[in-house]
Amino acid sequence: MLSQVASEALAYVDALHNLARYLTGNETDAEDLVQETYARALRAQHQFTPGTNLKAWLFRILRNTFLSLYRRQRNNPTVGGLDTVDADAQGSASEPWLLGDIELDRLRKLVAEEIETALMTLSEEARTVILLDLEGLTELEVADVVGCPVGTVKSRLARARAALRRQLKDYAR
Amino acid sequence: MTCGEARDRLLDYQRGRLAHAAESEVRAHFADCVECTRADAVEHELTRALEQRLPQHPASLALKRRLAAQWPAPTAATPSWWSRWRPALTPALAVAALLLLAAPVLYYERAASRATGERAGLVAEAVNDHLRVLASQHPMDIESSDVHQVKPWFEGRLDFAPRVAFEGDAEFPLKGGAVGYFRDRKAAVFMYTRRLHPITLLVFRADGLTWPTRAPAPGGPIEVYRTADRGFNVVMWRTPELGYALVSDVDARDLNALAARIPPQ
Repeated sequence: MLSQVASEALAYVDALHNLARYLTGNETDAEDLVQETYARALRAQHQFTPGTNLKAWLFRILRNTFLSLYRRQRNNPTVGGLDTVDADAQGSASEPWLLGDIELDRLRKLVAEEIETALMTLSEEARTVILLDLEGLTELEVADVVGCPVGTVKSRLARARAALRRQLKDYAR
Repeated sequence: MTCGEARDRLLDYQRGRLAHAAESEVRAHFADCVECTRADAVEHELTRALEQRLPQHPASLALKRRLAAQWPAPTAATPSWWSRWRPALTPALAVAALLLLAAPVLYYERAASRATGERAGLVAEAVNDHLRVLASQHPMDIESSDVHQVKPWFEGRLDFAPRVAFEGDAEFPLKGGAVGYFRDRKAAVFMYTRRLHPITLLVFRADGLTWPTRAPAPGGPIEVYRTADRGFNVVMWRTPELGYALVSDVDARDLNALAARIPPQ
């Protein structure tokens, strides 16, 4: 009889690959990261608590794997633009242009490539919380994935989205 | 409530994660504050842009095949002592058990537990079907956001007409449909999404199944069964003829909101 991890984990390969692609910035590294994630998940399947969110558990393994494999390259801007913009260093979202109808109008005109490019300029941490939120993980689950308190996730997400909006300002016409 | 407090709660408000009282406070603040209303609209638009226009990068077919090839199959496990000898020992053990236990007691206990087991089995089947859809290379046979294209597509492919009136909306867009199986029968599979979450609606003939909910009298109220299995939320209900199962890993609140929009018929 297969464990829940063995029987269900492959159903999340698309979601894991999407996050891996946005973390690594390229297809080859994303595929390697996903393969390594599944290998580690199988080895650690006895640690999974049945009834909890398997997808969140896999995301945590993927992110930890990413940090361990790619930590040496984190300062290399050619590898996925990691840490090229620190979301924590971004200003407040309360600047007038950010809250105006002009921004609303610009957001509506953004195309896919512009959103992707802007997202890739953010730090790994900012990209991760934005994408996990987009995947519908609760703040508690995101906190478990990134290993920080729920309150920190809430503020990181707010700062990350503010940073993204600032980046999008440059792309919007 | 101050503007700062309202902004702190903005994302939770938009995700429907606030308690009723807090939600009412934020809504009341927005009614009086133009700036916060604008901030709400901008955040909503950013979420919409990310959900609908951020490119998605699904795994390639080659990667999926590689993973599947390396994945443990049910037959790949080394057989245990028990599994090797089970075929030979089972009949003998069964006879011994029958001798030890009074047959009538066994019969009534099993009859009582069978119904519970079958109900749990229906939920497990719905989750398994959802997982099959997620794992499929081509989860949809017809891709369309128009329910009036999807429903006619089922004609000739099913031995019943799936009654689904919900056309999808901005919160739960319809993505398409497919023919699947629920237990021993064909099922109409409708795919909705909530942000990036796939939601599977299965519609199938309800006859002969031990159902978690009672069949409604004509015109009577529909009884809805809500549960969770393996991290997925499940909502099930039935009409006299058809069974409905809604499965996803979205919040139970979101799934209930979608269930409320699919009018039971």
